[in-house]
Amino acid sequence: MIKYLVKRVLWMIPMLIGISLISFFIMHLAPGDITNNEAAFNPKASEESRQKLREMYHLDKPVIVQYGLWLKRMATLDFGNSFASHQKPVFWQTVDADGNVTEGMIQQALPITLMINVIGLVITLALAIPLGIIAARKYQGWQDRSITLFNFIGFSIPSFWLSLLLMYWLGVVHNWFPISGLHSLNYDSLDTWHKIKDSFSHLWLPVIIPSITGLAGITLFVKNGMLDVLQQDYITTARAKGLGERKVVYTHALRNALLPLITIVGLSIPGLIGGSVIAETIFAIPGMGKLFYDAVLMRDFPVVMGILTIGSALTLIGNLLADVAYAWADPRVRRGVAKA
Amino acid sequence: MPPLFSLHNSSILLLTLLIAGCGAPSDQQNQIDYNVSAPKASGGTLINAMTGEPSGLISMIAGESASSAISSNIFNSLLKYDKNLELEGDLTESWQISTDQKTITFKLKPNLKWADNQPLTSADVLFTWQAVTDEKNASPYASDFLLVKKAEIPDPQTFRVTYAQAYAPALDSWAGLQILPKHLLEGKDLHTTAFARKPVGSNYYKLDNWKHGEHLMLSRNANSVLGPAQIDNLVTRIIPDNSAQFLELMADNIDLMGLDPIKYSRIIPARPELLKKLALYKELGNSYTYMGFNLKHKPFDDVRVRRAINYAIDKQEIIDGVYLGLGINIASPYKPGTRWSNPALQPYPYDPAKARALLQEAGFNDSNSDGILERDGKPFSFEIITNQNKEREKSAVLIQRRLKEVGIDVRIRAIEWASFISRFIKTGDFDVVVLGWGLGLDPDQYNIWHSSQQAPGQFNFIGYNNPKIDALLEQGRLELNPDKRMVIYHKFAEILLEDSPVIYLSAGYGLTAIHKRVKGIDDPAPPAGIGHNSQDWYIPQSLRRNEINTQ
Repeated sequence: MIKYLVKRVLWMIPMLIGISLISFFIMHLAPGDITNNEAAFNPKASEESRQKLREMYHLDKPVIVQYGLWLKRMATLDFGNSFASHQKPVFWQTVDADGNVTEGMIQQALPITLMINVIGLVITLALAIPLGIIAARKYQGWQDRSITLFNFIGFSIPSFWLSLLLMYWLGVVHNWFPISGLHSLNYDSLDTWHKIKDSFSHLWLPVIIPSITGLAGITLFVKNGMLDVLQQDYITTARAKGLGERKVVYTHALRNALLPLITIVGLSIPGLIGGSVIAETIFAIPGMGKLFYDAVLMRDFPVVMGILTIGSALTLIGNLLADVAYAWADPRVRRGVAKA
Repeated sequence: MPPLFSLHNSSILLLTLLIAGCGAPSDQQNQIDYNVSAPKASGGTLINAMTGEPSGLISMIAGESASSAISSNIFNSLLKYDKNLELEGDLTESWQISTDQKTITFKLKPNLKWADNQPLTSADVLFTWQAVTDEKNASPYASDFLLVKKAEIPDPQTFRVTYAQAYAPALDSWAGLQILPKHLLEGKDLHTTAFARKPVGSNYYKLDNWKHGEHLMLSRNANSVLGPAQIDNLVTRIIPDNSAQFLELMADNIDLMGLDPIKYSRIIPARPELLKKLALYKELGNSYTYMGFNLKHKPFDDVRVRRAINYAIDKQEIIDGVYLGLGINIASPYKPGTRWSNPALQPYPYDPAKARALLQEAGFNDSNSDGILERDGKPFSFEIITNQNKEREKSAVLIQRRLKEVGIDVRIRAIEWASFISRFIKTGDFDVVVLGWGLGLDPDQYNIWHSSQQAPGQFNFIGYNNPKIDALLEQGRLELNPDKRMVIYHKFAEILLEDSPVIYLSAGYGLTAIHKRVKGIDDPAPPAGIGHNSQDWYIPQSLRRNEINTQ
């Protein structure tokens, strides 16, 4: 097991280098650079000054040299500074000689996105598992059909449209909830209890909407897993033993039916750090999705590469964790792994 | 079964929503009459929104409009424009131009102070000039200031610059350069300094609090060099999505928002509850949309062809169709109503018959009767490229249709900005573009029209080369007397219109909705726009947001 783990971890290094190389070149294949943004298209701004900026950021050098420079910095885990945002550090904060702290861009955006996505995932699972079980138990009954219908309505409604409608209805017509943003303007002067209330009222729409639209997939997974398991011989045996239906479903069937879910959750770990551009734009949330999207439009290479690197590292770790968790949960897999 | 319960709830919620999609807002705030006139009183908070966050507040480095929108409340320049777009003193009390027009002496107002109580002197001005011209700062705006041969400070209140030769746009450039405090920035790297996020300035407001991605809060600067502003706090929220901004405006969470023509002329007027609390303002914008020819490509080198196309396009149709009538037709690249705009010039009328005649004169005939003109056996067909900008794309579609009527085949392509610039504009690999330029406050447009400005990355990318225009542009740069300068640029605009290297399509209005609680706004807007006296805007005590909430 240990040997297997070490091997998997070591494999991640060449994979990461490969991924970063490909993303670096694809990013540089896109025409233009930071000096080509719309604000720079101003007759008052001269071509010479744009050339100076290019030299400052080494954009005048061949791509392979730029990649070498980037890799050299990455070897010391230095993600560099943004081109576009007043040279803010990409990843983590820096402190200058006067003690002024400049926070990193990912450092600012990641906790927000992570919080929204983790809560969203928990809500999705908390709804999808019971719904999936009910749908499987009452397969083709009215419960199953209404759950499926509800899920697919949620799945097919464009989330931005639903968001705008809810924002209008709850925020403008009834004034029950704030429309956009993360905090009220007077947040800093509130006491702890009101701060929590304030954050909750700002966050619940951006959390709930992706949960509703993401419900369909996971519910189907649970339902199908459950249906498969319920038809197996050992369930018939359990019923034949005279066990109660409750015990059969929740003790014997559920554990096996949930196995595939481990893979799904493992695979969604990298998704947790990538926010949705559309949701973040509509709700004015300064998260990872917006950060990445803006960086691509501005050709802000250090930020793009920083997010891609962290994202791919997390994807690899997520896969590894999923495999390990699977082995832990399923003895058959564990034994197979031990042999290998 | 709890899960089923929640299912019911949500589907009911959803249904209610779909049915009740358009109920009227029903809050108690609608009872308040915002039309009351109230005495001027200082205090209160104005909440504003913008779509992008500034990268920093040192605008000579940042360069984007979000940055200067905030920093112009914090910093002063030597000069500024008054409501009629004439220059007046900002930090300066007076300025003098030497008889050879090469030296400008600025006399600062007495006893100026920074927000941190340090004196503001000519040393700060000199420092700012050194910063903007410093090679390692790579300021995009350096070129105007690099022309200064000598800058000196004979005393703390005097700043004198000498140019190698007279340079008329100099005054405009000093109106655009925000003066920075030497005592806080000397020896610092302007690209990384924390000052960009914690600025200390001299204007009406100072920055209190900047929450990344959420808002910037400004409060009144007690040391303001221009005296106190009326409103205590300016809050700018960052809301990237326009629809979300509009919802915030409807819910009374922001006071002010720039509008598009549909919101201005359709959505708001159709809702009495919005008209009750929002006042709409219209001012001439600062830019125009044009269609520019690649003059190095045939047949656009032929002035008859360019004029023919100009006659064939119905500009009023574009204004009505794309801007819902909220724009005007222009005949020179200057803001109508200002001294630089030549009132004698008339835009090309829509005259397809004249267009056909001119095209025939240029050798185009429909020899194979397929509806498309040919010359030397080649059909007259070209591609209009533009960036992904809805108004420009729509304008291009209307042009396509009108040109088809006179026998020209047009294709349209919209391209993402960075690709648009580096693949097409820089390389000169295009036939026709639809783009926009600013209606500059200074008449000098050397960088756009002079024949020397055609290298890749420079702004005369259409390849315009007219010795008469070159001469006028050079002459205009040497003449600092506004009256004599006006004559030069009126002539310049006349030749430009005649020669038609670009077709002026329209100049759109800037449209703004401001909550009626804000008083003291000039309506109709003077040439400088409604924002020119924002320091005198006020919010009467009884209409302020906090008071309303506690009632």
